[in-house]
Amino acid sequence: MRNFRLYFKQSATYQLYLLFTRQVNDFFTTLGDITKKTADVFSYIFKFEIDRKAVLEQSARFGVSSLPITLSIVGMSAIIVSMQVAGEMVKQGAGNYVGQLVTMLIVREDGVIMSGFAIISMIGSSLAAEIATMRVTEQIDAMKALKVDPIKYLFVPRVVSGIIMMPLVVIVASVVGVLGGAVASSIVSGLSYRAFFESVWYGLYMKDIQVCLAKAVVFGATIAIVSCTCGYNAKGGAKGVGIATTKAVVWSFVAIAIWDLLFAAAFFF
Amino acid sequence: MSITVKNLVKIFDNKKVIDDVSFSVKDGEVLAVVGFSGSGKSTILKLICNLINLDRGEIETSLGDVAMVFQYSALFDSLNVFDNIAFALKERKEFRKKFNQEQLEQIVAQKLKLVGLEGIERKFPSELSGGMQKRVSFARAIVTEPKTILYDEPTSGLDPISSTLIEDYIVRVKEETQAASIVVTHQMSTIQRTADKVIMLYQGQIVFKGTPKEMLSSSNDYARQFVSASLDGPMQMLAE
Repeated sequence: MRNFRLYFKQSATYQLYLLFTRQVNDFFTTLGDITKKTADVFSYIFKFEIDRKAVLEQSARFGVSSLPITLSIVGMSAIIVSMQVAGEMVKQGAGNYVGQLVTMLIVREDGVIMSGFAIISMIGSSLAAEIATMRVTEQIDAMKALKVDPIKYLFVPRVVSGIIMMPLVVIVASVVGVLGGAVASSIVSGLSYRAFFESVWYGLYMKDIQVCLAKAVVFGATIAIVSCTCGYNAKGGAKGVGIATTKAVVWSFVAIAIWDLLFAAAFFF
Repeated sequence: MSITVKNLVKIFDNKKVIDDVSFSVKDGEVLAVVGFSGSGKSTILKLICNLINLDRGEIETSLGDVAMVFQYSALFDSLNVFDNIAFALKERKEFRKKFNQEQLEQIVAQKLKLVGLEGIERKFPSELSGGMQKRVSFARAIVTEPKTILYDEPTSGLDPISSTLIEDYIVRVKEETQAASIVVTHQMSTIQRTADKVIMLYQGQIVFKGTPKEMLSSSNDYARQFVSASLDGPMQMLAE
C-alpha cells in the first residue's frame, strides 16, 4: 500500500492533478485579490485622495507613450477590414455602405478592443514589471515601513490615469482608423472619399459612441488594476518579475475580452 | 520598555519559522539578533514592523514610528535622494501639513549631514555606491524621528571600512535619538561595536541570550560554535 502511494505520487496523473489544483487555487486567489484591490482603489478615489501630480505623470505615460503603437494597430486593423470588404462591396453595388460598415466596426469593436490590446502590451506589462521589481527589491515593504499605503501611492494614480486616458486614446485611434479605412477603400476599390464619408454618418449612432467610451473607461481601469495587482503579488527575483508580467498581460487580455462580451450582451443583444 | 515581544509564533507553510520567541529592548538600547540564514531573524523584524502578520504572541512598541533599514537599502529607484529621504514627510498627511518645501530641504540636508553625505540630494540611487545607498536608507529611516529602529543586516556586502562607518552611525543614531534598536547581523564586529545585548536564534527559537562580552566567553554550545565559526556543533547547516 505504501509503495503504491509512493508510486502514485510520482505518476504523471498525480502531477497533473497537483498542477490543476494549484492553477485553480491561484486563479481564485488572484481574482479575490483583484477584487479587494479594486475596492481599496475606489475607496480612495471616492474620497478624492488622489495625487494630481502623479496622475498627470502616469497619464503622459498611459496616453502619449502608448499612442504610436495604438494608432498603428487600430489603423492597420481598419485598413485590413477595408481592403477585404471594399472591393467586393463596390462590385455588388454597395459601395455607399463601406464607410458605414467600417465605422460601425471600429466604433463598436475594433477601436476599443485593439486599443485595449495595444495598451496592455505597452503599458500594462510595464506597470506590472515596475511594481513587481519594487516588490522583489523590498521597495514596497520600505513604503509600508514608512507608513505610506502602496495602494494609494502606486495604484490610485495609475488607475485614475487609465480611466481618463483610455477614452481619449480610443477616440484618437478610432478617428485614425476611419481615415485609414477611407484611404484603403479608395486605393483598393476606387471608392471616392466623399462617398465613404457620407456613409460614415449612417453607421455612427450616439449609443455606439457612448458604449464605446464606457467600455474604454472600464478597460482602462481594468488594465491598470490587473497589471498593478499582478506586479504587487510578485514573489522571488527576476523570475518572479517575469511571471508577474506575463500574468498581468494574460489576465488583462482575458478580463477585457470578458468585459467586451458583457457589454455586447448588455447593449447589442 | 520600548520593544516587548512575548511568545511570538510565525508559521509559513505549516513550518514554525518563529517558535515562542520573547525579548525586550529598552529605549537607547541596541539588541543584536544573530543566527544562521533562515533562522527567522529578518522575519522577527518584519513582524515588529508590521509587514507580515503574526500567528501568535504579542508585540508592543513605544508610541511613534517604527523605522526599518533594509538589507539591500530598498531605496525608491525612480526617486532621487531628496525625494527618497523626504518621502514619508511628503506623502503622509500629518507631515505634509507641517512642513513646507524649504523646511523639507533643511531636514533632508540635516539627515544627510548626520550620515556624512552632504550635497547628494539630486543624485539617483543608481548613481550611488552600496555603502552610500545604505547611508541614504539610514537617513530615510530616521527622518520621522522614530522611537524604534530595525536594521536588517546593515553591514552585509560592504567592505570593512564602510561596515565600520555604518556601525558608527548605528551607535550615533542610538545616542542622538535614544531609540530602541534591533540589529540583525551575522558579523561579530557589528555585534561587538553596536550591541548592548544579543540573542541567538536557531530553527526559530532563542538558543542564547546575553551581552556581546558574555557571548564571546560563553560555554553555550550554540554561542561557541557561532563565535568560532565552526562546522562542529549543535547548529547544522544541512538541517536548514
